[in-house]
Amino acid sequence: MNRRVLIGAIAAATALAVVPKRARANPKKIRPPGALKPGAFEQACIGCFRCAEVCPTNCIRFPSTLSLEQALPFVDTADKACVLCMKCTQVCPTDALVPLKADPDVIAKEVRMGVPVLTRSKCLPWNGQGICRLCYQVCPYPEAAVELVGPQKAPLFHAEACVGCGLCEEACPELAQAIKIEPFGSEAAQPKPIPGRPGLKRPSEVNG
Amino acid sequence: MTRRALQPLDITLRHGRRYQVIRKLFLGFSVALTFGLPLWHLHALDVEGAGIAADSRWAHLAARLPDSPPPFYGAPTSVWVGVLELVDPLESLAVALFHGLSWNWVWTVLPGVVLVVLLGRFFCGWACPYLPVLAAANAARWVLTRLGVPLKDVKVPRSTSRVVMVGALVVGALAGTQLVPLIYPPAIIGREVFRAVFYGSLGAGALVVAGAFLFDTFVSRAGFCRSLCPGGAMFSVLANLSPIRVHNERSKCTDCTVCDVICNLGQSPMTNTLDSGCERCGKCIASCPTQALSWTLAAPPLVQLVKLRVEGVEAKTAEAKSQ
Repeated sequence: MNRRVLIGAIAAATALAVVPKRARANPKKIRPPGALKPGAFEQACIGCFRCAEVCPTNCIRFPSTLSLEQALPFVDTADKACVLCMKCTQVCPTDALVPLKADPDVIAKEVRMGVPVLTRSKCLPWNGQGICRLCYQVCPYPEAAVELVGPQKAPLFHAEACVGCGLCEEACPELAQAIKIEPFGSEAAQPKPIPGRPGLKRPSEVNG
Repeated sequence: MTRRALQPLDITLRHGRRYQVIRKLFLGFSVALTFGLPLWHLHALDVEGAGIAADSRWAHLAARLPDSPPPFYGAPTSVWVGVLELVDPLESLAVALFHGLSWNWVWTVLPGVVLVVLLGRFFCGWACPYLPVLAAANAARWVLTRLGVPLKDVKVPRSTSRVVMVGALVVGALAGTQLVPLIYPPAIIGREVFRAVFYGSLGAGALVVAGAFLFDTFVSRAGFCRSLCPGGAMFSVLANLSPIRVHNERSKCTDCTVCDVICNLGQSPMTNTLDSGCERCGKCIASCPTQALSWTLAAPPLVQLVKLRVEGVEAKTAEAKSQ
């Protein structure tokens, strides 16, 4: 091998090393169900598009701008929710998505795509604007992940039982848009101090 | 008028037409899968509003969704055909660098590796969806040369692809990410076609393919496949064991160089020095005016080496016995 080839290869390698760093600096996204932990997932996914191909609701997306992001699938719950059919996990060739059965109990135990963050000031029942219950009605785990409280039947979310499918976010009325699924372990999903109550923190942001 | 250098499009394929027809049908099937599967699955699997049937829990989902994954899915580098899982060996190796070996990994990678070990680097000549792009680049070169545009044909050493392959594996391992799918044309094309069909947009991978096309057109003929493609390098490594060879019967050969020119991968059938980089496209055999070239089954070089060694040892022991 001559020297020019070697120098070229080293330059190319350096350039390539910069790309994934940029990709990792991007904010976290909601990964499809059964995904390995952040870090391990990026190492295992070859971006072959099979998961998005078999997804019946087309909720699995790939970064589509001319960015230098690594081609990794994510779920855009604001647009389309995951219906938890687990097809994507069954077709993954590299086990970046660990194969799971489409069984409610298995999914409740294994899947943690994100946590629901409710903005009460936008939620209709919490503001006395009538009874809505849409999030409760579409939730695959009613009572466990979301329960209705008070005479207005206002939703109260429980992050620990939520799989993060986003059906509630999709169902939330257009004029309210009170629910947002945040990636599991992201900034927005962390406990936050309560304004005017120094020293106190909400147990989780889910009902913020 | 000055004499132009001979180009692949100037050469007519004379023999072995049936082989070429089968190859092109297979290639057409592969390309049709690449473009057809996204279109078909977009149509077949879209369950309108599956997520938002208001009075429902699980029953409506189970009732309206197909029970199992479709019989055919994926793209050329990672495809499920009925019962067979075919995943690119290089991408599988890159995954194994992080997550080690598992039985699932073995079953995933085995069919592809067995095919390559038996048939050689056939994927490049028979199934790669980059081939239409390469053909377009070759056609563009032919037209541009006819129009009098001087085009370079830089001979990048073929070992560069191995440097790219090892570099992508090592840098990817250090950076904690998968680099191969970002620079490997069949993987990119499979993904970008899906992206274009599903979301109507292209990603950064389209730039890599466009860059490879420009490189093949203006800088080096078939230069990407020949000297840069990391997947091709991996196939070449595995194909060392393949017993299928092109043989040149020197007594019939007229040294016309047609076979060397038509080869996209820079092999030299004329001098009988093909290595594991041969993609089994058979175009050299088809183009030979005197039918000097033919397929042969030969023991792969590694086996021959072992055989020679064993024979040598046997001869020595026989010698020692006789003394």
